[in-house]
Amino acid sequence: MTSTTSKQSFSARIKRELNKNLLVYVVLIPVIIHFLIFQIYPFALSFYLTFHDWKIIGDPEFVGLKHWKNLFDDEIAWKAIWNTVKFSIYYIVPTMALGLILAVIINSGVKYSGFFKGLFFLPVVTSFVIIAGIWGWLFRGTEDGFINYLIGFVGIDPQLFLSSSSQALLVLAGLSIFKVAGTTMIYYYAGLQSIDRQLYEAARIDGASPWKIFWKVTFPMLKPIHFYVAITTTIGSFQIFDSAFLLTNGGPNYSTTTIVYYLYHQGFTSLNLSYAAVLSYVLFFIILIIALIQRKYIGKDPNYY
Amino acid sequence: MSNTIFKRLGLLFLVLVLSVVMAACSEDETTSTNADTDTDSGSASTDTDSSGLSGEITVWAHPYTDGSTGEGDMWKTFASDFEAETGVKVNFEQIPWANRDQKILTALAAGQGPDVFYVIPDQMPQYAEQQLILDISQYVTDEELSGFVPTAIEATSWKGKQYGMPILQTAESLIYNKDILTELGVDENSLPTTWDEFKALAEKAKAAGYYAFSYAGGGSLNNTLYPFLWQAGGNVIDEDNNILINKPEAVKSFELINEMYTKGWIPQDSVTALDHDSLYLGGKLLAINGSGISVNRLLDEKPFEFVIAPPLKDAEQLTYGTVGMFVGSAISKNPEAAAEFMKYVTNTENQRTFNNITQYIPTRDEAKDIFDSQQYMAQLAGYTEFAKPGVIHPEGRNIMPLVQAEIQAMLEGKQSPQEAADKAAEAIDKLINK
Repeated sequence: MTSTTSKQSFSARIKRELNKNLLVYVVLIPVIIHFLIFQIYPFALSFYLTFHDWKIIGDPEFVGLKHWKNLFDDEIAWKAIWNTVKFSIYYIVPTMALGLILAVIINSGVKYSGFFKGLFFLPVVTSFVIIAGIWGWLFRGTEDGFINYLIGFVGIDPQLFLSSSSQALLVLAGLSIFKVAGTTMIYYYAGLQSIDRQLYEAARIDGASPWKIFWKVTFPMLKPIHFYVAITTTIGSFQIFDSAFLLTNGGPNYSTTTIVYYLYHQGFTSLNLSYAAVLSYVLFFIILIIALIQRKYIGKDPNYY
Repeated sequence: MSNTIFKRLGLLFLVLVLSVVMAACSEDETTSTNADTDTDSGSASTDTDSSGLSGEITVWAHPYTDGSTGEGDMWKTFASDFEAETGVKVNFEQIPWANRDQKILTALAAGQGPDVFYVIPDQMPQYAEQQLILDISQYVTDEELSGFVPTAIEATSWKGKQYGMPILQTAESLIYNKDILTELGVDENSLPTTWDEFKALAEKAKAAGYYAFSYAGGGSLNNTLYPFLWQAGGNVIDEDNNILINKPEAVKSFELINEMYTKGWIPQDSVTALDHDSLYLGGKLLAINGSGISVNRLLDEKPFEFVIAPPLKDAEQLTYGTVGMFVGSAISKNPEAAAEFMKYVTNTENQRTFNNITQYIPTRDEAKDIFDSQQYMAQLAGYTEFAKPGVIHPEGRNIMPLVQAEIQAMLEGKQSPQEAADKAAEAIDKLINK
């Protein structure tokens, strides 16, 4: 009896909700259909494929856990996962920090702030291929590479950069930071603009130094932005592909082979689409776990949005 | 909707999703279409000609020139002439070279896509083993294949079956900067023909402040390791899956590359470099292994005078040269017309037209007369007899990154040439026996 009542009240609630926001749901229908067809359906299907061999033409053949087992024996896959984690360490915090610094600069009332806004955002709208080309030229590992030329003035020997297992991933991270920091800047700039000016006035009246105001007022008030930017840069860092594809081809000796680069190689060069699907699930689970951790420690504040 | 169609549609979505993951890479690749772009695949039509063929076919190829209008006109002419001759309508679509695999595989997975498309030899056995391409042996007679250069036919067949019709060839050979040769006091008529002679010249170039050679260690092994490996009498793997890459002959090529790097004959960034064009065009490199593209660039930009020498010889005189071919889709609804078009476009006259516009080397000896008045192209065309088209094996393309990684570790000083070759052999063994 209780259950029936609760069911009725639930359906009544649904009905009420639908009546209230009917227009919203109607407008959302195309998006929902698109989401089901292009996100949910392939997502489920790729999971199905992880248990099958598929030769592209013809029907998939069930092979059980074969492809998942292969993952555990595949040293390159583990190296790719580790490289991606290292890339994230090099990338996430500097991207956030640089974005914040740039946002503070353009928010500080500096002269020609519009010009600087455009300048800092320029890499975002420039083609990645062009930026990567410039980066490749800057970090050419010959003595006439531009960065090698510059560091020569301070007595540092020419570095191999993209040809060194210990430096290549760092150089690629630098490229991504340069490319993305402008976007992060815009998020932080929007956040800075929304902070109540009265808080600053009160802090100043209390005699707080600009440094203290930044750490005690600005930084905490940007918490929702920190959370959002942390999530998006984390997801971006785990999906890194193009810089390794364009500049190093995953080398030297796999040191810039990331999960997505390896996934691409397995899917479209080796035609191992099932194994590529397994790798895509590995990527999914890693991002999911990190997002949940971030949610727990950064986003648990009910005021984060 | 039948279960098979349902699954096929679903699998198309999977490929699409994988493609979307790569979208960031492909967003800047340009697609230039200067010919008709109808994508409908081989649906039957009622037109029937005296040839007995009917319907239509779709042909996919990438741009072969940098936007030459002659190329678009050429395809229009090929299509209309073939249509007039056979009654088969040809829909030509130009696709970008980059990410072509994704586009073709996605289309085939959906049961759509081209009836005829362009591939290179290290893709062909892989596609053949996956039963993605048409065995055209039944449509082509021995007589029809007799006019082709033997190396081109070898590169288009797998396990005794003919899968492709070759349209173009390349042959790489040493292109020297004549200014540097003059500075080094080397006569252009007595250029190195053996490894030892080349090493002596390389040492001389290094002493004069030049790099001797280019080595794009992040690029294809077809342009880096393999020419030396074949010249030393070695090989990577044979058709019976015997791994040969760590045999003494093959290891000699690892040793040579290591020597070139440690002695500074090749640039310091050779470990992962993707090209050394700017160094070469800037006059800092004595020689490169170049093909027709390099020659035409040197003729256009005229950075310096150059001279082409024959491929080097150690145990054998060999080099790398690709063979571009047209293949038919295994799911073509009009396979006979597809095969007929492949034969048509690769006939002597059409090869003359195609290779004259694109400046590649024809795969029919008769058509090579287009270069009679072009000294350098004629010279390169003469070297196709030494050109091997890569490792022709279903795993040929998958072997490359495994070997490349070991060479990179060798150049970084982390292992000896023999260790690099042994580890490469181990990785290949694991790949083919997985």
